[in-house]
Amino acid sequence: MAKMEVESEVTGNVWKILVEEGSKVTSGDVVMILESMKMEIPVEAPADGTIAELLVQEEDQVEEDQVVAVIDVN
Amino acid sequence: MAWDSEVKELERRRHLAKQQGGAEGVARQHAKGRMTIRERVDVLLDPGSFKEHGRATASPVYDDNGELIEYVPANYVVGFGEVNGRRIVAAGEDFTLKGGSPNAAGLRKSVYAEHLASQYKSPLVRLLEGGGGSVKGSGKQGGTVGEPVFSEPRFKIISDSMGQIPIASAALGAVAGFPAGRLVASHFSVMTEHTSQVLIGGPALVTRALGVEMTKDQLGGADIHLRSGVVDNLARDEHDAIEQIKRFLSYLPSNVWERTQRSPCDDPVDRMEQDLLTIVPRDSNAGFEMRSIIEMVVDKGSFFETAALYGPSQICGFARLAGQPVGILANDCLHYAGAMTAEAAQKYRRFVELCDTFHIPVVNLVDQPGFMIGPESEKAGTIRYGMAAVAAASQASIPWAVVQIHKGFGVATAAHYAPGAYVLAWPSVESGALPIEGGVAVAFHKEISAAKDPIAKREELEGRLKDSRSPFPRAESFAVHELIDPRETRPVLCDWVEWIQPNLDTLVGPVTFPIRP
Repeated sequence: MAKMEVESEVTGNVWKILVEEGSKVTSGDVVMILESMKMEIPVEAPADGTIAELLVQEEDQVEEDQVVAVIDVN
Repeated sequence: MAWDSEVKELERRRHLAKQQGGAEGVARQHAKGRMTIRERVDVLLDPGSFKEHGRATASPVYDDNGELIEYVPANYVVGFGEVNGRRIVAAGEDFTLKGGSPNAAGLRKSVYAEHLASQYKSPLVRLLEGGGGSVKGSGKQGGTVGEPVFSEPRFKIISDSMGQIPIASAALGAVAGFPAGRLVASHFSVMTEHTSQVLIGGPALVTRALGVEMTKDQLGGADIHLRSGVVDNLARDEHDAIEQIKRFLSYLPSNVWERTQRSPCDDPVDRMEQDLLTIVPRDSNAGFEMRSIIEMVVDKGSFFETAALYGPSQICGFARLAGQPVGILANDCLHYAGAMTAEAAQKYRRFVELCDTFHIPVVNLVDQPGFMIGPESEKAGTIRYGMAAVAAASQASIPWAVVQIHKGFGVATAAHYAPGAYVLAWPSVESGALPIEGGVAVAFHKEISAAKDPIAKREELEGRLKDSRSPFPRAESFAVHELIDPRETRPVLCDWVEWIQPNLDTLVGPVTFPIRP
C-alpha cells in the first residue's frame, strides 16, 4: 500500500484535529485545522485512503512543509 | 500555358511540404497519444479558415542533374486563421521532424510568428512541442556563423509583442529551451496532464551538469510547474488545452488598440443571491469560500480562473459582468489566511499588468490580512514582490472596483486599490494598519506589561478597539463610496460597468508599463 504525506502549507498552531489514526478519508477532506495569521486554515487530504499516522497533536506548533500526517493510499 | 510546368511543380512542393515527418513520423506521434501540429491547428481554428504562410518552405536536396531527390518540410507551421470568427495567428513546431528542433526554414518561420501577429495586430496562439536548438549542425566548416552582429535581438519581438497583442501558449509535449521561454512569454499558458513537460534543460543535460538522475516528469511535469508559476493551467488533454486558450482569448481584445468586446448577457443584472448575506461568518477567524462569492456575483458560468495552484492565497481570473469582460482579483482565506506571499504577489502583479495592458477593468474582492509574516516569508523576499504588486496597482490606468469583503490590513492592502477606484464595503469588513489582536500587543506593550494582569489588560484594549471597527463610520466619513448589503453586489457592480463604458471606448493604445513574462 502506497503512503502519502500530508503537509502543512503554512507555519502556525494545530487548532483542531478532525480524524484519528485509522479514519477513512477522501481527497479534499479536512484532516485538521491550523491557526495561522489569525485564521483557521484547513489541511486537506491529498488523496483517498486511511490515516496511517498522525504526527502532531492539538496545540503543537508546525512549520511550513512539515509532515503532519501519513495516509495509506487506497 | 507559359508557366504550366512551374505551377505544377509548385503544387507538388506544397503537397510535399505538408507531409511533415512522413507516414512513419506521424504514426510515431499518434502512438504517443499526441496530435501533429497540423491536426492541432485544425482543432484550434474555425473549419477551413487556416491561411498558412510559407507553404513551400523546406530544405530541398538535389542530385547532380538538379533533380529534386529529397524535400524536408520546414518543421514550424505558422499562419492566420479564425477562432469564433476572429482572426488570430496560429503557430507551432512540427515534432515529427527532428523532434521539433528547428531546421533552417523552420527557424525562420518560428521567429516570424511573433512578427506576423504583431504586424497585423492579431492574437497569437502557440502550440508548442520541441526542444529548441540543437548542437548538431553547428560545427559546419566555412560559410558564416551566428547572426550578423548588427541584427536586432531575436527576443525583442517576443518581449515587444507582449505589450501589443494577446499571446496564449500550450505545452503539448516536451517543451524545453527556447520553446519553454516562449511558453512563459505569454499572457496565458496551459499544459496537458500526462503528455507534456516544461524544462529549461532535459534529463541528459541535468545528469551531465549536476550528476542527478531524474525523469522529464520529475523535472518539469504538471505537478512541478502548476505550483512553480511557470504554467497557468492544467488541461486533461490537447483538446481541453485548446478549448482553454479559446476561452482565455474570449475575454481579451485582439490588440491593445481595440477595446474589450461586450457579449450578450441573459443573466439579470439585478440578480441578488440570498446566500451572500450569510457566507462570511461572524467569527472573523472562520474561513469561507471566496470562489462562491465570485460565482454568485458575476454573469453565470463566466468565471475562468488562471493559475489556481500558484500563490493560492490570491485568486486571479476573468469573468463577465453584464457581458463586459472584467479581471477578477480576490483573496482566498483558506490558504495562508489570504495573505500576500511572495508568490501571490508575483501572480498579482502579472495579472494587474495583463489587465492594464489590454484595458480590462478590474473587480477586486478584498480579504487581505497583510503580507505573510514569519521566517519563510522574510527569506522569500516577500516585501519586495509585495511592493511591486502595490506599484502595479497604484500605477494602473484601468477602471477598478473594490469590494471590501472581510479584512484589509497593512501595506499589502494598498495593492488592492488603483487610482479612481470605486469602493464598496460589506458590513463584514475589518480594516486598519494591523489586525487588532497582534497590533494591540505591539502598540500598547508598556501599558500591558505594567498592568497587574497583563492578559486582562490586553483583552480589555482589544475589546475597546474591536468596538470601534464598526463599518458605519467609514461610510459616514465617505472613506468608502457605499456600504452595501452583500446581496446588492451584483446590481451595484453592473451599474458601475455601464458608467465605465465611455472610459473603455477611449482607453486604448500601449501602456507605459506593459506586462513582461
